[in-house]
Amino acid sequence: MNRERPVPKLGVGVAFQPALRPFIESRGDLFDYLEVVPDILWNDRGRGETPRYVDDPDGVAFLRQVRRERAVIPHSIGLSIGSAHRFDRRHVEQIAAWREWLDFPWHSDHLAFHLAEHGVDEMNVGVTLPLPRDRETLAALAPRVAAVQSRLPIPFLLENNVYFFDFRDAEYDDAGFLNALCERTGCYLLLDLHNVYVNSRNHGMDPFRLLDAIDCERVLELHVAGGMEHEGFYLDAHSGPMPQPVWDLLDYALPRCPNLGGVTFEILGSWFSGMGNEKLAAELSGMRELWHRHQPAPERLAA
Amino acid sequence: MSRRAFQSALARLVTDPDYRAEVRARGNDALAGRFSPRERRRLLGAAADRGMDVTRTLHKAFRLGKLLTQLPLTCRLLGTERLAPEVERFWRRRPPISFYFLEEAVAFCDYLLGRDLSALGVEHLEEVVRYERASKALKRARAEGRRPEPERVEFACDPAALLSALHRGEVPGEIPALSCTLEARLTEGGEVEWDVAVVEGVPVPKAVTAVGG
Repeated sequence: MNRERPVPKLGVGVAFQPALRPFIESRGDLFDYLEVVPDILWNDRGRGETPRYVDDPDGVAFLRQVRRERAVIPHSIGLSIGSAHRFDRRHVEQIAAWREWLDFPWHSDHLAFHLAEHGVDEMNVGVTLPLPRDRETLAALAPRVAAVQSRLPIPFLLENNVYFFDFRDAEYDDAGFLNALCERTGCYLLLDLHNVYVNSRNHGMDPFRLLDAIDCERVLELHVAGGMEHEGFYLDAHSGPMPQPVWDLLDYALPRCPNLGGVTFEILGSWFSGMGNEKLAAELSGMRELWHRHQPAPERLAA
Repeated sequence: MSRRAFQSALARLVTDPDYRAEVRARGNDALAGRFSPRERRRLLGAAADRGMDVTRTLHKAFRLGKLLTQLPLTCRLLGTERLAPEVERFWRRRPPISFYFLEEAVAFCDYLLGRDLSALGVEHLEEVVRYERASKALKRARAEGRRPEPERVEFACDPAALLSALHRGEVPGEIPALSCTLEARLTEGGEVEWDVAVVEGVPVPKAVTAVGG
């Protein structure tokens, strides 16, 4: 169904954080689309509440304003699609409701879970926890991806996760699991190159081998970011400019992804003051240069 | 059922250090649940993995960040040495439920107000906690689509001197005594506006003074 529908070539995007708002409003010349975690611009009052979701009126007004000139792509953190105890159809409905006024060409979430049963209630771990790379996981994900795609007839992308501990008895390696996921469920990939780098650093893998092994036709979006060292691990902290190996991965991945819609730079608002406007501008300019070297000219998706 | 129990146990390994220590110490005996043999191996492996330390650090950073950003005055007044054990106790009582910062901040204030704060030996702590709680409760109500009633907080000292010192990043010194009540309300734009409502038992006409926050 979705497989045949290509996404537009949007180009270079930046991930919204409230701290970046002045930059976004003043430097629209540096990016082609805005990505937003919609969950930070609504309040989820919890299961059983009516209304369940309350939109942030200021946030919605801001996105409407941005959308007049360029695409706004939702990258949600709220679905917890890997949670075994429930599938949150109401969250999918909320994304569908936002599509009514944002008219985005694709949307994404994380290949992970953060909600788990806790006694009679539910726990929100606050970090995305990995799913075992096995057929049982794929079987659980398949009907959920189908439900999302049935409700929103546009490509649904899942983002490869970072993991700091790995599960024993994995049935797939990282690339094999992502390929099997796409084949089994029909979803597409948001390939986070910084996450690939993080996992390769922490688990001693070659990130370029993953890019060689992955079915790049399924990759519709790339993420890039910077991170930091912490007690012998490298973290996906979204804390600054990309390290050179992530630039190298981007240069390697861009020509290999024929259906790519965009590449998005992520930085957390709390780290942005340390990075500043000039460095962010330099990152986006560098990404644009690589995009133009390897991909067709971006299409402007104004409202 | 097995996957549900597996994920619950994995989440607890991240959020509950006592549980993780028990699993590491007692192995399979600590894994009460209907796990498959493979799930048991995976849980035992995860519990022993150094990567679980990092995952817990990230979990704690996310959760603590909510309090530091939402309750800066309370956190400053408590100081790191007192804040850390209070946060640990709060987390043991309340598993992480919500993604949202305001809910966590209000819950932490309620936890503190439920304690005997005099035992902590921090002057003006209760007033500051109530002050920040009122502000967050108003904003939480707005985020939930409700129109909140004004909140009132009583002070036994000059709130302007106390709060301005904390806003400047200072631990307040000697604050002049003053019996007064501040009232907070939400503006149309969603900002919290504070006014002095009562001074030494005498009501003050509205909009005489605004106190930041």
